[in-house]
Amino acid sequence: MILAGILSPITVTHYLVVGIILFVCGIVCLVVKRNIIAMLIGVELILNGANINLVAFSSPQLFASGTAPLLLDGQVFALFVMILAAAEAAVALAIALQFYSRFGTVDVDQGGQLNG
Amino acid sequence: MAGLIFLSAIVFLPALGALILLFFPASAETAIRRITLGITLVVFLMTLRLVFPGDGPAGETLLERSIHDVRFVAGEPGYQHALAVPWIRSFNIEYFLGIDGISLPLVLLTSFLSLLAAAASWSVTKHVKAYSVLFLLLETGMLGVFLALDFFLFYVFWEVMLLPMYFLIGIWGGPRKEYAAIKFFLFTLVGSVLMLIALLMLYFASDVRKLPEEARRQSLLSSEVMVKSLAPGDKPLHTFNLVALAKLGQMPDSPFNEPAWLGKSIAWWAFLLLLVGFLIKVPSVPVHTWLPDAHVEAPTPISMILAGILLKMGGYGIIRICYPICPQGAYELAWFVCGLGVVSMVYGALAAMAQQDFKRLVAYSSVSHMGYVVLGLGAWSLVPGVWDTQYWKMGMNGAMFQMIAHGISSAGMFFMVGVLYDRVHHRDLDKFGGIFGKMPAYTALAIVIFFAALGLPGLCGFIGEVLVIFAAFSYSRVLAIIGASVVILTAGYILWTVRRVYLGAEYRGPHAEALTPLTLREFTVGATLAVAAVVFGVFPQTVFHYMAPSVNRTVDEMAQWMKAVSVNVVESAAEETPEKVRHESTVVLDNLSSEVLEAGSQR
Amino acid sequence: MEAILPQLLLAAWLLPLLSFVVILLAGARMGEGGRGAGYLATLAVGVSCVLSIIALVWWLGHHPLGGHGGHSEVLTGDWYTLAQFESLRFSVGYYVDSLTLGMFVMVTFIAFWIHVYSFGYMHEELHDVHDPFVTGADGRNLVRPGRFHRFYQYLSLFCFSMLGLVVANNLFMVFAFWELVGICSYFLIGFYVERPSATLASNKAFIVNRVGDFGMIIGLATFLFACGTLHYAMPGNASEHHPGLFSIVKDATNQLQDKNNAASSHEGTPTNVGHEKAGGSSGLETANKIERNRALTPVLLTLAGLALFCGCIGKSAQFPLHVWLPDAMEGPTPVSALIHAATMVAAGVYLVARIYPLLTADALLVVALVGTITLFLAATMAVVATDIKRVLAYSTISQLGYMMLGLGVGGWVAGLFHLFTHAFFKALLFLGSGSVIHACGTNEMPAMGGLWRKMPWTAATMLVGCLAISGAGIPLVIGLSGYYSKDAILAQTFLFHRMNPLFGWMFYVALGVAGVTAFYMFRLWFLVFWGKPRDEHVAHHAHESPRTMVAALVVLAVLSVVSGWTVPGTSWGITSLLEQSRVTPATETGTLQSAVALRIPDEHASHEHTIHAWVSGLAFLAALIGFGIAAVFYGIRWLDPEDVRQRFRGVWELLAQRWYIDQIYDAVFVRNALRLAAVAAWIDRNIIDWLADHAALSVRRLSQWDDWIDRIFVDGAVNALAAGIYDMGIRLRRWQAGKIRVYIMWIVIGIVALFIIGTIYLGIGANISRG
Repeated sequence: MILAGILSPITVTHYLVVGIILFVCGIVCLVVKRNIIAMLIGVELILNGANINLVAFSSPQLFASGTAPLLLDGQVFALFVMILAAAEAAVALAIALQFYSRFGTVDVDQGGQLNG
Repeated sequence: MAGLIFLSAIVFLPALGALILLFFPASAETAIRRITLGITLVVFLMTLRLVFPGDGPAGETLLERSIHDVRFVAGEPGYQHALAVPWIRSFNIEYFLGIDGISLPLVLLTSFLSLLAAAASWSVTKHVKAYSVLFLLLETGMLGVFLALDFFLFYVFWEVMLLPMYFLIGIWGGPRKEYAAIKFFLFTLVGSVLMLIALLMLYFASDVRKLPEEARRQSLLSSEVMVKSLAPGDKPLHTFNLVALAKLGQMPDSPFNEPAWLGKSIAWWAFLLLLVGFLIKVPSVPVHTWLPDAHVEAPTPISMILAGILLKMGGYGIIRICYPICPQGAYELAWFVCGLGVVSMVYGALAAMAQQDFKRLVAYSSVSHMGYVVLGLGAWSLVPGVWDTQYWKMGMNGAMFQMIAHGISSAGMFFMVGVLYDRVHHRDLDKFGGIFGKMPAYTALAIVIFFAALGLPGLCGFIGEVLVIFAAFSYSRVLAIIGASVVILTAGYILWTVRRVYLGAEYRGPHAEALTPLTLREFTVGATLAVAAVVFGVFPQTVFHYMAPSVNRTVDEMAQWMKAVSVNVVESAAEETPEKVRHESTVVLDNLSSEVLEAGSQR
Repeated sequence: MEAILPQLLLAAWLLPLLSFVVILLAGARMGEGGRGAGYLATLAVGVSCVLSIIALVWWLGHHPLGGHGGHSEVLTGDWYTLAQFESLRFSVGYYVDSLTLGMFVMVTFIAFWIHVYSFGYMHEELHDVHDPFVTGADGRNLVRPGRFHRFYQYLSLFCFSMLGLVVANNLFMVFAFWELVGICSYFLIGFYVERPSATLASNKAFIVNRVGDFGMIIGLATFLFACGTLHYAMPGNASEHHPGLFSIVKDATNQLQDKNNAASSHEGTPTNVGHEKAGGSSGLETANKIERNRALTPVLLTLAGLALFCGCIGKSAQFPLHVWLPDAMEGPTPVSALIHAATMVAAGVYLVARIYPLLTADALLVVALVGTITLFLAATMAVVATDIKRVLAYSTISQLGYMMLGLGVGGWVAGLFHLFTHAFFKALLFLGSGSVIHACGTNEMPAMGGLWRKMPWTAATMLVGCLAISGAGIPLVIGLSGYYSKDAILAQTFLFHRMNPLFGWMFYVALGVAGVTAFYMFRLWFLVFWGKPRDEHVAHHAHESPRTMVAALVVLAVLSVVSGWTVPGTSWGITSLLEQSRVTPATETGTLQSAVALRIPDEHASHEHTIHAWVSGLAFLAALIGFGIAAVFYGIRWLDPEDVRQRFRGVWELLAQRWYIDQIYDAVFVRNALRLAAVAAWIDRNIIDWLADHAALSVRRLSQWDDWIDRIFVDGAVNALAAGIYDMGIRLRRWQAGKIRVYIMWIVIGIVALFIIGTIYLGIGANISRG
């Protein structure tokens, strides 16, 4: 059965599964890691999981007519997300640097100053 | 135009003076005192201007005349210098001032006593500025009460007068001043609340449109309300106008005759509430106990004002508001009014006799003397079928005269007590004596004043008391006889006091060295009061001349109302009463005739 | 022409007032020690006297004497209106008839001589006075400035008030001046204000008088109510005005009489007395009058008359209000002579005479009874008194009792005649006693004796006074003034005795007391002037009084002798003067339903010769016996009064204590009044104040409850809510740990949970999976 699954042609579902796996990995990474850099990596993973999703949903297979009105919707979204991710990474890394210079560590749990 | 704003000027001049005094430094005590005295003097002169001799421009109506001339036209029963302008339009509340023969003597008394009290205020040394400001505000309140002809305005002035009094007792009073001030305030406030209830009852029962147009015109409504009343409308047009309320109350089918509660009409309840409210102020037994405390604690000038003027507001309220507006209640409760009057007279005199404190004694004498006022006002001599108005006129005039007389004598007595207290700082009657030898001029004045209170002929107290007793006799013989017995008690306590304080060989209390003769200022105040006591005692016509027409009008209105209302009563009475009388007299006659015949046959 | 009479009287009346005002204002500045005040007052009253005499002469010129009573014209009118309410008028006016003028002359004349006398008697007051009766705290006698001018000031006020009372044309004015003479009496009794006894006596006098005045007010109110006026007779044209009291009452009683004459068969018509009078007035007034006069039943008339008489009882010191007069002797002696003997105390008698037409026979009976009781009681008290002035005071009360008796039994002229003669001889006696006191410095008769040699003028004039008051004379030939007047009263009483046998005892009492009068008067005279001096100190200092005093004594002594006589060859005298204005009572027969028929005899009947002779003889006999006993005890001293006193200890004590009347009054009235006063004050403090305070307290307690409820319940609920939310916040805070990983985890869990919930309950997942 597994084989059959492997051998079957790649459908949108497969993309989605990959996206989900990436997304969940990212989430887990965010939740588990205390290292701010690792958490940034988790964020990237989440964004990429989402990107795959976007791209997958713009597949023509999902449309009854077989053609999407404009086949590049998902890809364009993905491109935007990537650009945003780059910007985000720049900002986040700057924060991380500041964090490090202030607390002398990259462990986010140490920065509990705004704790109520 | 002078005539129109003149009354307002009188009322608000003291308040204006108070405002000016606010800008003075508190340390300028002499200047403040002089200005206060000056303002009261100006007010007094202004009120005196009202009774300036002369007739003014002739040949015009009263209303037109009072626009051009500020003089009061004697012998006219109606309101003069009346000015009504809308004040709070949504409730038809008017700023309505006017003067007639009932209020004129009281206004004069107020300004006169305020002047004397201001002159007597030199003995007040604490917070002179605040004292003067409150004093002037008080005067505005008092004048306002006597001049307001709008019930709401009346109520406002009534309360305006209350507050300064509270502070004047509470701050400048004696050792128990807080107790006295609060007692005074609470008692009076209870009265005010009762008055407020009655005021609202009457307001919401009133409807100007029910008045005939002639009566509306006579009520001196402001032109705005007049226009409103002419326009058709479904909703009743309520009013606070005292004249209009009186006209409404005296209609045979008055809206106040509607049953209100416990089978009694609005008029009955309103009369009772107003009466109790005013009786607290008079004060009448059993709501009089604020008076001795307030008097004992208040400083001398405030005692003078309190006894001389504030008590008169009660009597004024009864004659101005209770009787004209609620004749039905007045008729049914006449026994209550007279009974309370007599009880006050007897009780006050007895209580005065038992006092040790000089000022308390004088305070209780006020209770006794104001009892005459209540008795005189209540002596409803009208009997269906007879309509004998003259005895009641005599009673009401006597009561009003008694108010003036008591204003002079009681203010004088408090001043006399104050003069002694300023010197020796005690008021224990057993620790005086021999003042005659040390302060002869003072003693002479004091004896005149005290004998005026005793009701000695030739002094002001006599006329009022005697007229009231005579009038009461026509209402109830028993009450008159009990009331007349008070002359003995009065003589008892006053002569006893005079003997203990002024006569005798030597002074028995502390600070004998302080008993110095009167200062010029004290002598002036005392002598003025003594002269006034003599003048009013010898020439009562000076008061009756102005007062009687308006008082008589009140009685005549009552008689008219009674005639209109009791047509049926009269008819039934005519069937019943003469028969009864005839029967009784026949019995007497029979006895008599047989006896005389016997005697004749013997001869 | 008639207008001049009121003006004369007005001037005579107001002059003393003017003097009073001037002395009041100028006072001590009038000459050395205020001597000028004395001159002024004396001048004023002297001119008054002259004016009065002119008025009297003028009157007699127009109304010659000799006519019979009841027809005399009366001149009445108003000077000034005090107040008027419709037809009720209170005014100051004059009512002039021969009685008024006679009183004017008598009052001003006696007052003038007493003013003169006082120059001598009061001369001490011209400089600082050393009062021996007042001891200060330092043990020394009080020294005070003299009050000469004050004395004359009060005298002037008194003259004014007394004349006002006499001239009054209405009861209101009478009442006003009634009170004014009372207050003058108060001031003069308490003239020595430093002496506690004097001020006490003055208070007593005024308050006791007020008790009488209380009754008088009721009387006034009754008449005002029943008749609508207090004027004796309305001035001016009767048709224009309401009728006065006299005519209203007359109409009422006439109607009554007519009614009775018209037989009892005619029943049913009410007694519309005064109906005829009302004929001309408007309908309403007619109704008033009918209604009012209907109230004027004989019972009411009697009661009203008696109520007025209460005032007379007080002023004339009749039983039971006689207690003030003996104490009133605390005043200076001229005052006792003027006010408490000659004039003011006689005002009660005068008023009874004035209102005679208002008094029914029943009321008169009461008057007579009161008079009889008084004359007896007072005479018995006089017998044992030792203070010379008190003896005279009791004697005054007793003589006033005679006057009341005279009036009460129908002797209008007789009673008033005695008023006049008594005024002269009692003023004389008082002034004489003043002269004695002035000389001796004491009032006690036992300390005197044998003063005859030292002060012959005083002794002689006093003897005249004693003879006059005892009614000395040769029966039916000639006598002193008292002889005539007392005989007239006794004769009238005798007549009353004949007509009303039940009240015959009054005659015997009066007769007996005539003897007692002679006894105590001569007891006084013997004790003071006869025998040997009993106190050397007193006798040594005694001297005849100054000329001013003696002059007054002599003048009054002469009048005491002659005032009862008629002008030789005519019948002119005081009696014929009074006869001119004689009036009759409202009814002459009893009107009340009682067991006894009462008839007031006509006065003329008592002039009958037989009655006169009888009574005259008896009275003379009684006086002679009285004199004899006095002579036996005190003159020639055959018997020692001390023995009698020892033997009748109880009686003596009873009389010396004045029948314990003062004590009874003190216990019954004064104490109880004070007790009642204390009760009233107690009620005020402990009940009314308690109620007020506790009302306030209970409101405070209520507000405390309210406060408690507020804090526990209302505030509690709000606070509990706030606390709950706070707690929740604290609890939730733990979740808000600031750990981003935890947040993310929760986000994820939340999303998953939402997804699951959405799938299961809303079928969203199902749709998606289906789609």
